[in-house]
This record gives sequence, C-alpha cells and structure tokens, in this order.
Amino acid sequence: MRHPSQEILALHAGGDLGWLERWKTARHLSGCDVCRDEVSAYQEVREVLPELNQMPEVPWNRLAAEMRANIRLGLAAGECVRPGDQIQESPLFSGARAVVAFAGVFAMLLAAAVLERPVPVHASEPMVQATDTGIQRRSGDRAFGLMHPGAQAQDVTYTVGAQGTVGARYVDSETGAITMTKVYVE
Amino acid sequence: MMLLGATTLTAQDAAIPQAAVSFNLPPNSPLSVSGFTMADSRATARGAALALDLHMPLTLRNDSGKRIHGVTLRVVSQEVTLGGKGSVTYPSLNVGPGETFPVRIDMQLMRPSQITGGPLVQVDLDGVLFQDLSFFGPDRLNSKRTLTACEMEAQRDREHFKRVLAATGPNGLQNEMFESMARQGAVSQLVVSVKRTGRAVTSAATANSERTAEFAFLQFPDSPIEPMKGSAQISGNEAHAPRIEVRNKSGKPVKYVEMGWIVSDPSGKQYMAGSLPSADADLVLPPGKTARLLQETTLNFSAKGQPVNVQKMVGFVNQVEFEDGKIWVPNRQNLDNAVLLKVLPPSAEEQRLTDIYRKRGLQGLISELNKY
Repeated sequence: MRHPSQEILALHAGGDLGWLERWKTARHLSGCDVCRDEVSAYQEVREVLPELNQMPEVPWNRLAAEMRANIRLGLAAGECVRPGDQIQESPLFSGARAVVAFAGVFAMLLAAAVLERPVPVHASEPMVQATDTGIQRRSGDRAFGLMHPGAQAQDVTYTVGAQGTVGARYVDSETGAITMTKVYVE
Repeated sequence: MMLLGATTLTAQDAAIPQAAVSFNLPPNSPLSVSGFTMADSRATARGAALALDLHMPLTLRNDSGKRIHGVTLRVVSQEVTLGGKGSVTYPSLNVGPGETFPVRIDMQLMRPSQITGGPLVQVDLDGVLFQDLSFFGPDRLNSKRTLTACEMEAQRDREHFKRVLAATGPNGLQNEMFESMARQGAVSQLVVSVKRTGRAVTSAATANSERTAEFAFLQFPDSPIEPMKGSAQISGNEAHAPRIEVRNKSGKPVKYVEMGWIVSDPSGKQYMAGSLPSADADLVLPPGKTARLLQETTLNFSAKGQPVNVQKMVGFVNQVEFEDGKIWVPNRQNLDNAVLLKVLPPSAEEQRLTDIYRKRGLQGLISELNKY
C-alpha cells in the first residue's frame, strides 16, 4: 500500500488540503490504521499547540482572485493603448509580450499555490496557562506541564501570579494530600 | 545515570526508565526519598514531536527530629533550551519524626523528536517547613514564604472550625462544612494565560482600543499595608502592566506585599483574576513609606472558552511579609466580605478539611481537628 507523505497527513489533520487531495487521503485513511494514527497525532499536537490555530485570518483565495483580476486589467489596458495597425498585425500577443504576460500569470499562480498552503507559525515567546489537565508552559513546539490527573476540574483551584506564574491546588485523589503545583513563565 | 538514551525516546511508544529523573537532596536534608517508581510513564511520538508523560509516586521520609508541616520540591526540565521550571508544594502536612508520607509528581513534556539524549527532569528539595515555623532548604522559589503563609492560613482556619465546633457542636460544624462546600462550588474561575511581556494572545476582543482602568480597593482594618491607588492597561480581555501603590501603615519594615486582584465583566460578574506581588526581591518598605508594586506582564482572561472583557478591577491585601520573616494573612472577619465570599477560593487547609468531611464524615473531621 502506498501511504500519503507526512506533509499530506499533516495538512489533512489541519483540514488544509484541497478537495481532491482531501478525498483521496480520507479514502486511504479509511483503510490504513498507521496513517490514521499519524493524523490523530498531528491533531493532538495542534491541540497542544493552539498557536497553530491562531494564524492571522488571511483570505488567500480572495487575494489570489484579486491578483488575477489586476493582471487581467493590466493586460486589457495594454491592449487599449496599443496602436490600431499593430492590433491588426498581431491579433493576439507579440512574442515578447506573450512571454511577459504568461510569466506574470505563472508567477501569480505559483504565489497563490504557495500562499494557499498554511505555514505553521510558532509563538516563540513563552506563555503559561491552565489546561484541562494541568498547567503548561509553552514556547514554540515545546511544552512543560505539571499535571493533576484524577482531580475533578471543579475541585481544582487555579492561582495566577502577575509576575508570571500559574498554579493549581487540589486534593490528590491517591494520597489525600493537598498539592499545589506552580509553573513559571521564566 | 541522569542521561536517557536517544534510542529509548525516539521509539513510537516507550516506557521511561527511573534514570530519566534525578533527585537532588542535600546531605543534611531532613527528608529522604524512601521509594519512587515511574509507574506508567511513557514517551510517545506524536508526528514530529515527542510527548513525555511522567507519573512519579514518591514516598518521602521525615529524617529530622521535628514534625514537618510543609514541603516544596523544585522540578526543572533538564533541557536548557526548554526552560521549563515548576514546583510542587505539599502544605498542611503533619508528619512526625521517622514517619513516611506519599506524594505524587505528574508531568508532561513536549519537545521535537529530533533532539537526542539528555536528561529529562531534575527534582530538588526547595524547602521544608517544620511545626515550629523553622525552615530548611535553599528557598530558590520563595518556599519559606509560601509554606509559612499556608501554615498561617491553616492555623487560622483550623481555629475557626474548632471554635464553631465548641460553640455550636457537631451540627454547627456540619452546617459550616455545607456552607464552605457551597461557596467552593459557586466560585467561578477564570482561565488566565500569562506572558512576561507584550500581549498574551490575539483575539477579537483585543481589537478594542487600550484604556487605563483604576483599581478600587477593599480595606482591611488590621492590614499592615494600605493600598493607595493603582491601575492596569486594559484592552478587551487582556490586562497588562498592573501597578499598585501601597503604604506601610505598620510599625515594622515590610519586605513583601501581595495584592489579590478581582476583575468584573460588563455584566458585573466578578472573578478572582490573580495576585499582584511586589517584584523587587530586595524590597524593604519602612514604616510610613510607600512603594509601587508593578509587573510587566500581560494576563489574558477567558471563561468557558469565551473571552472575559475586563470592566472593573478590585484589589485587596492578600499577604504581607515583614523583614523579620513574620507573615500577615487576612483573618476570617476580613474574608467574611460579600465580594470576597463570591470570588475567593478557600484556603488549602479549608479545602483539605472539606475533603476529609466528604470522605470520612463528621467524626473523621472532628478527629482531624483534634490532632492539632
């Protein structure tokens, strides 16, 4: 069985594939446990690193459409100022103009293709925050957390220090001891 | 011994050996580790990252001749570039000489899988507080102050419940437990993220223009510190650069002040946002003098997945440490305030006592109170 590349799986996990590629990948995943696990792992990483979901909203499709429209407008304007005899002599494009126009369209399509693909943006500045299961310091693709497994969410008291700490306090279900964890942003 | 081979960690899903964790206790430590396991600690490859779940049940032994009332362990990720640092504190202990007690450390690390080798975690003893309020340890995380404040709150709350028991009997104590549990259940908690500088995270709510919001203050008559004025920069659900000017109205020099910080949203709902401690480690505030508490951090508030826009702010004195090491915490009368009762979680000791009541009933609670 030929597996999709890691890049395709990662993009699929984020819902960033085109419809055809998405359909092909989904069809493969329906019969491949290994790739399904990979996609799940990517999705978990995305949950752990929510900065990935906080990319600025850029309307790439609209941007590409506007670029296409601007190029067409430029070409049309060029046609308007062209002398009439030249139009009759060359109903389409002259060789040099055609090369420039096609190069422009190609560059635009290439840029649109590149821009369509999301590039992960990692927040490098460390941040501390409470999660469902603990307190975590995140910096880019790294994380350090002190967890409180077994403690019910409503029984955990969170404390925040404006100097850059987040703490959790709970009764450990196994030891019965009050436990206070604290994670430092620096 | 501390080094963990890369081969172990790059596996898809592998157990983490005990050698991945190093315990550093000084030779004259009043505590020793009499046993620990890595339980079901696992290293799991997740795409391009490696997730390490560490579960460490420990048994600690009191090797000193005094009763231990609190312990703080410092937990540091050994990967220098990660910079993960945390602490695990066990207040409200009552461990006699030679006795052992169980604790747990549960951690999660996430790092790129291509990083090979290197130790994982180092656990150091940061401090031990004894019954007589003497302290042992390097105190790099200010454990002495934290544990002493917890002990002061514990003594205050145990005395309160003992007085209730003496005045109103078991039924009165039971009612007090009901009220405490109802308060704990009613407190709404914010999800707060903290960044040292700049904005915490972007959100639609931060599109609003920034404004300066002034603190209002709850005044406690017996507080050694009087808050004068304060403000923070507010932008939607973000607050940054909080600062409060305080005056020492006691007769003793003060070296640490911590203000509690309450915020309310546009609907008037109030939340405990956090605390604002004095930043200067060398602060000495003589009697009658003023000082400014300020932190160059940004706090981002949300609740139930929605941003909580900050409308108003209230501050109150939460903790004061004098130069001689003595700690002041608000008394029960101070805390019996309509605003604080709604937002302030109970102390660690009150949380422990209500947990004992839930699990062992009224007689269990009375028996626990009688130990002190």
